[in-house]
Amino acid sequence: MTVAAGRVIDLHLHLLDRQVVDPDGRMVCKVDDLELELDERGRPYVTAILLGPRALGPRLGGRLGRWVAAIGERLAERDRPVSRIDFSLVTDIGSAIAVSRPRGRLDVIPLEDWVEEHVIARIPGSRHESE
Amino acid sequence: MKQLLSVALGVLTAIGGFVDIGDLVTSGLVGSRFGLSLAWATLVGVVGICLFAEMSGRVAAVSGRATFDLVRERLGPRAGLANLAASFLITVLTFAAEVGGIALALELASSVNYLLWVPAAGLAVWLVIWRVRFSVLENVFGLLGLALVVFAVALWKLSPSWSDLAHQVLAPHNPSGEGLPTYFYYAIALFGAAMTPYEVFFFSSGGVEEHWTKRDIRTSRLNVFVGFPLGGLLSLSIAATAALVLLPRNIEVDALAQVGLPVAVAAGKLALAAAILGFVAATFGAALETGLSSGYAVAQYFGWQWGKLVRPREAARFHLVVLASTIAAVATILTTIDPIKVTEYSVVFSAVALPLTYLPILVISNDRDYMGDKVNGRVSNLLGSVFLVLVVVAAVAAIPLMLATKAGQ
Amino acid sequence: MRASDLLGREVLDRDGIRLGVVTDLRCVLDGPLRGGLCAPRVEALLVSRHRTGSLLGYDRNEQQGPWLLRVLVRLLHRRLTVVPWTVVETSQAGPLARPLALRVAAADLPAAEGRHTPG
Repeated sequence: MTVAAGRVIDLHLHLLDRQVVDPDGRMVCKVDDLELELDERGRPYVTAILLGPRALGPRLGGRLGRWVAAIGERLAERDRPVSRIDFSLVTDIGSAIAVSRPRGRLDVIPLEDWVEEHVIARIPGSRHESE
Repeated sequence: MKQLLSVALGVLTAIGGFVDIGDLVTSGLVGSRFGLSLAWATLVGVVGICLFAEMSGRVAAVSGRATFDLVRERLGPRAGLANLAASFLITVLTFAAEVGGIALALELASSVNYLLWVPAAGLAVWLVIWRVRFSVLENVFGLLGLALVVFAVALWKLSPSWSDLAHQVLAPHNPSGEGLPTYFYYAIALFGAAMTPYEVFFFSSGGVEEHWTKRDIRTSRLNVFVGFPLGGLLSLSIAATAALVLLPRNIEVDALAQVGLPVAVAAGKLALAAAILGFVAATFGAALETGLSSGYAVAQYFGWQWGKLVRPREAARFHLVVLASTIAAVATILTTIDPIKVTEYSVVFSAVALPLTYLPILVISNDRDYMGDKVNGRVSNLLGSVFLVLVVVAAVAAIPLMLATKAGQ
Repeated sequence: MRASDLLGREVLDRDGIRLGVVTDLRCVLDGPLRGGLCAPRVEALLVSRHRTGSLLGYDRNEQQGPWLLRVLVRLLHRRLTVVPWTVVETSQAGPLARPLALRVAAADLPAAEGRHTPG
């Protein structure tokens, strides 16, 4: 289901909670929330994909949601805003959301990098696929 | 010719891989107490898992998305998270049961106490997940699991009255001494043993990893519709041999050794050795699947990179979850809780968790935006709806029945 | 502002009658051109009595099977209303939990077919 310009989509059904995939087919994240801005006529439009605990927390709602968002605050570096992928990087909306930049250059998944560096890389054999 | 071989391999692997510790224990136990009067529950469960696996395999092939990815999309983040928590816990519980099963099977083979085998089993499982190629993993353990066919051989050697057996299957009655609640409790247990949720996580995730396309649907269907029913027949053979050998002697199954006893009685020591080989292969294979599935579920909910086809460093969080699950599974069994009890609980709780994953798959396999013209046909939907009701009924009835019968006493 | 600020908000019409909650935001890909795709721009709110099951797609797609689920979900979502963005009191569309108010009465809203298959 590739969506072309002028087509109609429903944000909740077609964008939110979809998998984001990079040009190499690697999984980047889920669309945890969407950033909206108002155009000159007061209509909201999507400017970015938001991800991470600080984006997911409010959608979980309630005490659990606040707790998740609080974890995100703790883990984030000082003054670092909520992780976002600008919508200009989106190339396709289908069964997954395709973006145009490889995930290494998106700089939005600090937890993965941390785990990779401090845990997984220390186990022998982590550099090779199971081949 | 090569294609024929690969198809045959797929089917054989599906047969050998069907049985896990839950099937072994529950089938043996039920056979020793109820004869074949609960065979219908296994048969219904087999139809159910065929339906379920076919749908999720088709969804994986057409949409390129695996089960838990879709669970969050269709249920939303909150219900999806609740779903994840339940599914993850039950998958890890099942993982613990499988690790316990490996240890018990090795104890049978070596007379070394099972507890000593547990850490080694856990380590071996994790090492295989870490390093061994996916296809090798599936094929080796699937084929070795075919050793369980010795139960069918033993059944044949016992020269049962086939008409009598058929009568038990087709005209089920409740054997004296067992209450009706207990009867249905074990029906749910058999159902949960056949329709394990982790099987579907594993199957669809494997399909996505191997980049299935529409052309792979036919192979996947063959594996499911031929392999799983034949695997189900193995479960029935286990129940039947238990019914013929253990039931008349009032031996109830509460250890893995007793599940294998009928084979020894019917076909001798060599056959028993084959059965033990089958036990080890089946439980080890299932441990691999549950270990991987625990990682699949979490990673697919959060959108992390997962899978064995990328370098572990590129799927760091996924591998961390798998490692943590392995440690949790090993720790659970090391508390010296009876692994058979763990198995029984895992099977019943699987039945409770089943609607959580079944519903989203049923919905998505009908969604034209995802599936194009490969949506469910009338038959699939009719069966699918029937099973939706069954699955919900089983899930709702499971815990009350468990409490009422004190887990089948 | 985030999508989650709008989703789940209660919607009242001009006379204070509760229509339901916002279950989805219907957009057209005609927003300010950013990169490869035009940005999705909200043109209407999908408002339903309950949030449950709205993501299953049955209130949208015409003949999605199986019959059993379709009937159950349609029962839950009998009143799917499509509310054009133009009738929403926009001074309130910020990140606060107040109900969204409309400038028109519920009766004046177009009859909800809701059977729109986005393509």
